[in-house]
Amino acid sequence: MRSRAFQGLPAFFWTEVLVQANELTAMATSMVIQGVVLVFVWILDPSLLGIAFCGALIFSMFTMGQRLLNEAAYIRIDHKANDLYLASPLSPEGYFLGMAGGILLVYIAPVIVMGILAEIVVRFTLAEVGLLLAVCFSVWISSASIGYTFSTFFRDNRAIWAYASLFFTTFGVVFPVFYPLTSFPASLQPIALLLPPSAAASLVQAAIGAIPVVPSRVVFGAVALAAETLALFGFAVYWARRTVREG
Amino acid sequence: MSAEPLRSRDLRKVYETRGAPATTALGGVSLEVHRGERVALLGRNGAGKTTFLKIASTLLRPTSGTIEIFGHDADRNPDLARPLIAVVPQEGKPFFHLSPYEQVYTYLRARGFPRDLAKARTREALEKMGLTDIQDRLAITLSGGQRQRTMVATVIATEAPLLFLDEPTIGMDPFARRAVWDALRELTRRGSTMLLTTHYLDEAEALSDRLYIIDRGRVLVQGTAEELKASVGGTLKVTLAKGAGRRELFESFGECVVDGGSCTVIVPPERLGELMAIAVREHLTATVGPVTLEEAFLRFVGRSINEDDT
Repeated sequence: MRSRAFQGLPAFFWTEVLVQANELTAMATSMVIQGVVLVFVWILDPSLLGIAFCGALIFSMFTMGQRLLNEAAYIRIDHKANDLYLASPLSPEGYFLGMAGGILLVYIAPVIVMGILAEIVVRFTLAEVGLLLAVCFSVWISSASIGYTFSTFFRDNRAIWAYASLFFTTFGVVFPVFYPLTSFPASLQPIALLLPPSAAASLVQAAIGAIPVVPSRVVFGAVALAAETLALFGFAVYWARRTVREG
Repeated sequence: MSAEPLRSRDLRKVYETRGAPATTALGGVSLEVHRGERVALLGRNGAGKTTFLKIASTLLRPTSGTIEIFGHDADRNPDLARPLIAVVPQEGKPFFHLSPYEQVYTYLRARGFPRDLAKARTREALEKMGLTDIQDRLAITLSGGQRQRTMVATVIATEAPLLFLDEPTIGMDPFARRAVWDALRELTRRGSTMLLTTHYLDEAEALSDRLYIIDRGRVLVQGTAEELKASVGGTLKVTLAKGAGRRELFESFGECVVDGGSCTVIVPPERLGELMAIAVREHLTATVGPVTLEEAFLRFVGRSINEDDT
């Protein structure tokens, strides 16, 4: 009997849901950064609130990766419980995706609330909702893949706190996620389109008419986001299997 | 599953660290665990016990040598070995935000157990570990010993054909330890096999059919507890209070181990009378007891250290 690909995923998903569901304070505070940015935008330039709400949704999905990074490292370093799970028929990719999915399910509630507020502000068409869901999914998969992969490199949780915050805040706040791509220096816009959260934000901004639709930019952003999502997810699955065993 | 549960041949593990000399954790370990056996790996801290268990449980790759789990190469085909094993990791802790019931049940589900069987096994394992009364409390509210019992319950509930337990009773009170021993004995009666490490030599003696003593990544000796104890030169241990200064009187009986002012001598029963006569003559207080596994362990490991030093 060989353990199958993705074996144990649903069960570990529910394990993680149960674990995370006991962290209601963390869930409630998961919107603090987004909320603060929205307040700033509301005070400084309310006309950008629609873009900022879309950015808040994308940023929320992006920070799920940071949660996965912390959780995977915590289980491995603090609890030393990953051996219990990985030396079993549970597949490594089931462990990774189960953990990612469990975190998503619990932390999605405030994101849905944010989405309802965004709908009130922006008034999305059905197509725009579809696009928003698609890019949010891509950003989540990308960031979860990055988070899990990074978690395997650390031996000390203290180091993770510093790097995780730096990484996720830089790419989620400094780059044009909460503000229009066109406000970003033109020479740096291709870089922004190569990063999943800002690529996703630029696609949504173009779709809702917040920035001009430039076909080459849309295609570049869409292809980059799709390709990176697939590549990062594929690598994370490979890496999850590879790092079950130390060298 | 006709092959031996565990068989290693000349297993070596060398850790290469940048900027530091390579460390040999295992220097060619060959051992076998037969079906239904409980085997203990004993050794000092850093002897290589956990490294061996990690390789055997498919979580660490060996540098060379082979290791088979029920005939499957654990290094080349870990996916075939994993369904057959379960591991209590050293210093492992349950999820703090799960109750013992949730911890055991969800683990069994992740291993592929059907719901009803998982529920039944969970209840049974928690009962054996004395956790039924607290099965719904979050692990974060439990004591260290209760958390460790939860980890053991998680693994014994699997009834996996081969169990690896790395210091399974650490932090437990004597009653809890005995409950674990009983549960492990019952599991082997049902057909499981187990390899455990422990620093509690009374536990190793009470629980194991055979023992391996390893030091610096090598097997020093293996056998039953009785065989190891017999090999130290006697079955009785005589401790002579204030005997350290008179050790020359007792050296003909065997090696005298001085500890503070006292001197401990291992003697065969037939020479006990002779030794006690000397003790009475010299007005020394003597305490007689059976040789324990600790004497054997100290003797073998101490000899190994001395050999390496010379």
